[in-house]
Amino acid sequence: MPSLGKNIPHDSAKGHVAGESIYIDDMPFARNELVVDFFWSPVAHGKIKELDLSAAKKVPGIVGLYTYKDLGGTNLFGPSIKDEVLLVEDTCEFIGHPIVVIAAENSQAAKAAKSCIKIEIDELKPILSIEEAIARKNFIGPPRTIRTGNPEAGFAAAQHVLEGSFFSGGQEHFYLESQAAIAYPGEHGQLVVHSSTQNPTEVQDVIAHVLGLKQNQVVVTTKRMGGGFGGKECQATHPAAMASLVALKTKRPARIVLDVDTDMQVTGKRHPFHNRYKVGFTGDGKITALKIALYSDGGAACDLSLAVMSKALLHAENAYFVDNAEFTGTICKTNYPPNTAFRGFGCPQAVANMENIIEEIAAFLKKDALDIRLLNIYGVEERNLTPYGQIVTNNTLAKLFSELERSADYRNRMAQVKAFNQSSKTHLKGLSLIPVKFGVSFGQKHMNQGSALVNLYQDGTIQVSTGATEMGQGVNTNIRQLVADEFDIPVDSVLVMPTSTEKNNNSSPTAASSATDLNGQAAVNACEKIRERLVVSAGHYFNSVDPALSSSAHEIVFENGQVFDRRNPEAKLTFAKLVQRAYLDKVSLGERGFHAHQGLHFDWESGSDKTGSGIPYLYFTFGCAVASVIIDRFTGDLKIERVDVLMDIGRSINPGVSRGQIAGAFVQGMGWVTTEELKYSDKGALLSHSPTTYKIPNIQDLPDVFKIDWIENNENTVNLKGTKAVGEPPFVLGAAVWTAVKHALSFVSKDQVARLRLPATNEEILTRLTQYEKLQAGAEVQLKQPALLP
Amino acid sequence: MRDYLLFYVNGKEQRVSGAEVFAPLSSYLRYGQSATGTKVVCAEGDCGACTVMIGRLSAGELAYQPVNSCIQFLHQLDCSHIVTVEGLKDKQALNPVQEAMVDNHGAQCGYCTPGIIVSLCSLFDCKQPADAQDIKDALTGNLCRCTGYESIITSGLAVDPAGIRSLKELYPEREMVAQFRSHIEQPALIEHREQSCFVPTSVKQAIEFKAKHPDTVTISGGTDVCVNCNKRGLEPAAIVSLSNLSGLSEVQIENGQLVVGGRAKLATLEAWAREEMPELYKIMWLFGSPQIRNAGTLAGNVANGSPIADSLPWLFVMEAQVELTGTSGIRLVNINSFYKGYKQLDMKADELITRIIIPLPEPQETLRLFKVSKRQNLDISAFTAAIRMTIADNKIVKAAVAYGGVGPVVLRLPKTEDFLTGKETTAATFTEAGELARSEITPISDVRGSSDFRLQLAENILLKFYYESACEREYACQV
Repeated sequence: MPSLGKNIPHDSAKGHVAGESIYIDDMPFARNELVVDFFWSPVAHGKIKELDLSAAKKVPGIVGLYTYKDLGGTNLFGPSIKDEVLLVEDTCEFIGHPIVVIAAENSQAAKAAKSCIKIEIDELKPILSIEEAIARKNFIGPPRTIRTGNPEAGFAAAQHVLEGSFFSGGQEHFYLESQAAIAYPGEHGQLVVHSSTQNPTEVQDVIAHVLGLKQNQVVVTTKRMGGGFGGKECQATHPAAMASLVALKTKRPARIVLDVDTDMQVTGKRHPFHNRYKVGFTGDGKITALKIALYSDGGAACDLSLAVMSKALLHAENAYFVDNAEFTGTICKTNYPPNTAFRGFGCPQAVANMENIIEEIAAFLKKDALDIRLLNIYGVEERNLTPYGQIVTNNTLAKLFSELERSADYRNRMAQVKAFNQSSKTHLKGLSLIPVKFGVSFGQKHMNQGSALVNLYQDGTIQVSTGATEMGQGVNTNIRQLVADEFDIPVDSVLVMPTSTEKNNNSSPTAASSATDLNGQAAVNACEKIRERLVVSAGHYFNSVDPALSSSAHEIVFENGQVFDRRNPEAKLTFAKLVQRAYLDKVSLGERGFHAHQGLHFDWESGSDKTGSGIPYLYFTFGCAVASVIIDRFTGDLKIERVDVLMDIGRSINPGVSRGQIAGAFVQGMGWVTTEELKYSDKGALLSHSPTTYKIPNIQDLPDVFKIDWIENNENTVNLKGTKAVGEPPFVLGAAVWTAVKHALSFVSKDQVARLRLPATNEEILTRLTQYEKLQAGAEVQLKQPALLP
Repeated sequence: MRDYLLFYVNGKEQRVSGAEVFAPLSSYLRYGQSATGTKVVCAEGDCGACTVMIGRLSAGELAYQPVNSCIQFLHQLDCSHIVTVEGLKDKQALNPVQEAMVDNHGAQCGYCTPGIIVSLCSLFDCKQPADAQDIKDALTGNLCRCTGYESIITSGLAVDPAGIRSLKELYPEREMVAQFRSHIEQPALIEHREQSCFVPTSVKQAIEFKAKHPDTVTISGGTDVCVNCNKRGLEPAAIVSLSNLSGLSEVQIENGQLVVGGRAKLATLEAWAREEMPELYKIMWLFGSPQIRNAGTLAGNVANGSPIADSLPWLFVMEAQVELTGTSGIRLVNINSFYKGYKQLDMKADELITRIIIPLPEPQETLRLFKVSKRQNLDISAFTAAIRMTIADNKIVKAAVAYGGVGPVVLRLPKTEDFLTGKETTAATFTEAGELARSEITPISDVRGSSDFRLQLAENILLKFYYESACEREYACQV
């Protein structure tokens, strides 16, 4: 019985609930193991005048203090633009920028040494906002543009034009297991590194590059992560490289485990965006022209900012057809830690921006925002071309909208919200339905590849290793099912092994929601090749048992853990017996599988106007969500009353895993738009660097009613088993909570279009409410809104 | 005098002295006992990944409560039985809570899971079924970043309580109880290098130790002190740990007043309030998390003296008395004059808060308590308030207003109180009172909120009180 579509428990679940799963810092300490820590820049921007390590060196228990001079390789790296140093050479570019790596016998010694390091820095003026970076023209990489139709003609044809700006804040990943790595020294300068990373190959590459080793000298292994969410795609490299430096220098195992405060202060986050937009539309609300200028805060180095901005540009219109559009994207260089990948990867920021625009059109026209959305969504046969030239295929938006409008009782509830807001003096309600269209594939087309190593053992069990890393999302469970199904054996017969650069070289990061698509398909590919060999052995065997049956590989059937020739189903072999026979037949029982998406291409500088166009995505995942909120008018406190999510995820390999991704992503998105606020000092120091001050959703924040469902769709034939990626798209739908708040404010903003920053904290909401109440009382109010950008 | 601590971990006896006494339980478990199931994420009681169950003597038997092991130092744990996630299996088999979490995808990355399991096992230890709200209330102190909690609630609802074997069944307690009884009568003094920790058995012993060591840090629940040890480098030279002190743990009514013992857990007060004083319960439910309330005490909240301590506005408007016991005797101080400045208390080095005596509202009085924080639950307040009012014939006869988070100490607002007294209960009265309240405070801006936000809350909260509690027509929305 195939397991596809069955609710198999997560492959680590039994260990997780018993406290027996092993993470980096749970690994036993080696007798001579060292603790690794680092000393970082206390200022956001400045030149080091003097660094004095003499006192720190004398601290008992200190084994080594290392600066950039000790690296042995090239202190410059980065996934796209190589503009990042592991250890500061002369200019500190953010608070948390590592300067000295400390190797100590214990953490007390490391801490003591840290406080003995003397540093003198000539402070330079830091750039601490997007606006400042724009004013000082401090950018990373060239701006990118997407253009379609004739925007100016579209504005001329519009009945109304609205302009505005929109700010969305950053977000801390808040993986529960902080960045961590252990490096073990080997012979001939080799290293074995255990890293909590989504990207073992990148960790391997950066270690080799920075320490002057060859890639084949470094093995990086990842058993699992205690959460990743994008934060361990590029930024697990730094601690792993530090531990490797110590292991290489001292020939002793070296462990680095960041505490949560350090982790939050030194690592990058979701990119804040501060955008400007101009939209033209008809009296009905149909968009005739759209210009969006996206500005992201890249932090002090590029990291993945280019790719994030690209993804944002490719999702700037969200699920709406616009025939006259111009989107530009500019990355601002600031003095914060380099911002990085975070679930959604620019798409949430772009979609929140677009949905803000839709809410403003609706408020301006005094229409239901749902009707504006329905008027503009991508069509199936026409109005289906994205601004970058890809046709939106397998488009289920209309179905999602109509089913959710009905199942969530949207129209009745909207009437109730209106009635409530007219009578309540204490509370305000809002309701909103938003869609997401999420393109699935890596933006860099070469990254759309995966590999898998499948090994069969003589008792009929299987080990599979792929380039995918497990961070809780269930990729290993999916792959386990896929492999078991290839031989129709129980999933318990298949173990998914730790990810290692030794087994799966040149792996792509576990990111872009694509780990199962790529690595699962590679695993299936490996199994297919092994099966081709097994059926030959099976044919020989059944021929030997029943000479009347000619040996025919085509007739061999794998079913319920057994193998037989369909012409004589009575004579059966167990799968284990077949594997044993194949071994005796000297058949190879291991295989490396490979998969790469074909046919994708994209050029950011195509045509005479050097704009982006192409086919970047294999397919799109769609979804819609309705959120209703209630706001306390006196405190700004927000309560989410009900959320309905409806997705199109194609076929689900494992409904429990899929549902977990939807619920988890939605709630994480909900956190981004409500309580998760990063607060910095005016010197650029992060103040909210632990869960005491940085508030991710609590179990009590769940909506009273939380419905999750998906439609049946078996038509996504371009992808593995008709599935669709699910990891990121529901995150974007968390923005429905924010648009519902914006909707609520429209009841008190008089004839103004209500403005609202993201996140909508109680403070932000109360600030707006207070402004609009004063406005209603007839006062002259200076409405605070983010400054319009150039 | 004993020179070691005695406790049990998953049924195994431990005797500890030396450096470990001054370290968090989570470190002892992870690095001393190789019990790495207990995870440490925040090291300040705000995530619950390190949750363990602590059983202590109560009426001659062990009573178990979940607490955060990162902010329970060993010196607080003398004569207790610690059960970690590793100790919850039923022999070698997963228990029904663990099974339900496996079957319902309650775990993803697994890092919060041990804490979630401990909290859920605590909920089901009584073998009763739980509804969704019970499950949420049991898990308020456990953050999860992966699941969105939905599957965890589903898991909780799927638990078959009939299959549960309680901790008392898993861990026969006769031997432990006998050991604890014999040890709890003996004071313990542990010294290691420059640090000493005294575990007295009586108030007298405690205050004598404090008199001898004027810089003593007194620890009861430790929910604040231990955070300072973990995060701000606090290393007290002398500690007096109240865990074995007899008495002072009750919450009871005496002479018509509520008397809260100096060691009474917030959870004990919460349980009382749930039945007797819903308005206080509302705040207690928001106060920290179950783990924090199982460890922390009201006296600790008072002694910590934070201007955003959640209990203080209530104590201020009720004119609570703090009973201080020192070597020169017992004295009572009105809470309104207890704070001399930011974290400056009217308390001598040898004194201990032994009781807090709180008048109850009269039947004709209205008492409302408010807490505003960025996140509703498990968050430190940006602003707190208590309003106590007597209203007769639409007139305010008496008013007491106290705000927290608006200055270095919790403040009463005398001008606002005077203004309100004698006024009619109209929206206009409360609007004007709000404007006056605003003028009586000068809040700062910090990570929890700007000064403008706090000023606006100070202004609005009076009108909120009016609409929800004082006006003729019921405008309040039942949320």
